[in-house]
Amino acid sequence: MMIVEVQGLGKKYPSFELRDVSFGLDSGRITGFIGRNGAGKTTTIKAMLNMIHPDNGTVRFWGQPFLDNEAEIKKRIGYSAGTVSWYPRKKIRDIVSIVKRFYDTWDEEAYQYYLNLFSIDEMKTPLKLSEGMKVKVNLVLALAHKSDVLILDEPTSGLDPFSRNELLEIFSALRNKGVAVFFSTHIISDIEKCADDIVYISGGKIVAAMPKEDFIRQYSEAGENLEDTMLRLERSVLHA
Amino acid sequence: MRNVLRKEMRLSASVLSYLFILFGLMFFLPGYPILCGAFFVTLGIFQSFQTAREANDIVFSVLLPIAKRDIVKGKYLFVCLIEGCAFLLMALAVILRMTVLSASVVYRSNALMNANFFALGAACVIFGLFNWIFVGGFFKTAYQFARPFVTFIILCFFTIFTAEALHHVPGLEKLNAFGTDDMAMQLYLLIAGILSFLLMTIVSCRRACAQFEKIDL
Repeated sequence: MMIVEVQGLGKKYPSFELRDVSFGLDSGRITGFIGRNGAGKTTTIKAMLNMIHPDNGTVRFWGQPFLDNEAEIKKRIGYSAGTVSWYPRKKIRDIVSIVKRFYDTWDEEAYQYYLNLFSIDEMKTPLKLSEGMKVKVNLVLALAHKSDVLILDEPTSGLDPFSRNELLEIFSALRNKGVAVFFSTHIISDIEKCADDIVYISGGKIVAAMPKEDFIRQYSEAGENLEDTMLRLERSVLHA
Repeated sequence: MRNVLRKEMRLSASVLSYLFILFGLMFFLPGYPILCGAFFVTLGIFQSFQTAREANDIVFSVLLPIAKRDIVKGKYLFVCLIEGCAFLLMALAVILRMTVLSASVVYRSNALMNANFFALGAACVIFGLFNWIFVGGFFKTAYQFARPFVTFIILCFFTIFTAEALHHVPGLEKLNAFGTDDMAMQLYLLIAGILSFLLMTIVSCRRACAQFEKIDL
């Protein structure tokens, strides 16, 4: 079932333009949002969540326009923005004690589970955490309120290979529970490992949005793995 | 809104905002421009905006399951709460100075403004100006606050200077009433101050909600 529909999203900056970005997210599927640095991944995600205002286009969650149902929709979304840290001098425990009050669906058991899984010390402040641990804290917050959709901006950047692998396994487990996982990355092997669908953006424009198998069938040449395909595509898009 | 206010108080606020409430007690000081107490209270609130900006508070709040306008309302609520607490301390000082301390020599010989209902009304105007110029100005960008704060400081001290000077103008001596003298006039001035506070706060809050909706974070 299509739960997120992004239609014709556009945003013009003096030096960059997001053009006609359209794709959809299904429940129980992992979608990798791939593109090089500056391709428009973060801009798209921010536009989806009303953090920036698109010049045109619409975003619907469960068929409802985001802007008209912002609070209700946000309750069902988990969002994590990479290594950005909030309240660097507050203990994680104190931040969480406030955050959880906003969610009727807060799952303390799941919170404790992910906290242990990622070996996060609640008594630490974000200031004392490494970049990778900051990513994990953001992820725990996103995972602990039983989101139906997870929107994650560069969740694997800064993580060690073991944590990355753990995270991709968590994505797979969430997919099996019917959660839609949408994560941006420039690490192609992450997509290769767990994504069902690929949304590929280059220069602010969607090049492809389709199931991974279809993408490989359509774009891969003999003997190429996904990384080779993406690199070749990126070069050809840039030189077009 | 209770959760938003709790977040403001426990995560976003600087401890100075709470400590500086005590500057409301400056209304007890004789021979001192007591309205500076209201300015110091706003200085404490300014510290919270600075702390919140360093902590990415606005972006964090946007991700919470609340409408964007509720973030603005939460900030205004927090600011009004601090101002309200300071106002209560000022009111306590005014009532004591108007009653049991009204005959005190240090207050009788006070060359500066007396702590009366007019002074309380003027403090309300200062708080209203802060909400209108600083808080409203902050939400034009949700990031920059230097210009709104400097503008507020200029207008705040103009208000303090004017309030201090008015009772020296012939015919306006009653503004410096002692005790319960000219009670009706004092009450009117207090009500006028409270109304101007409400007007400036409500209008700027509505405008800030609309402006914040348009900001790209």
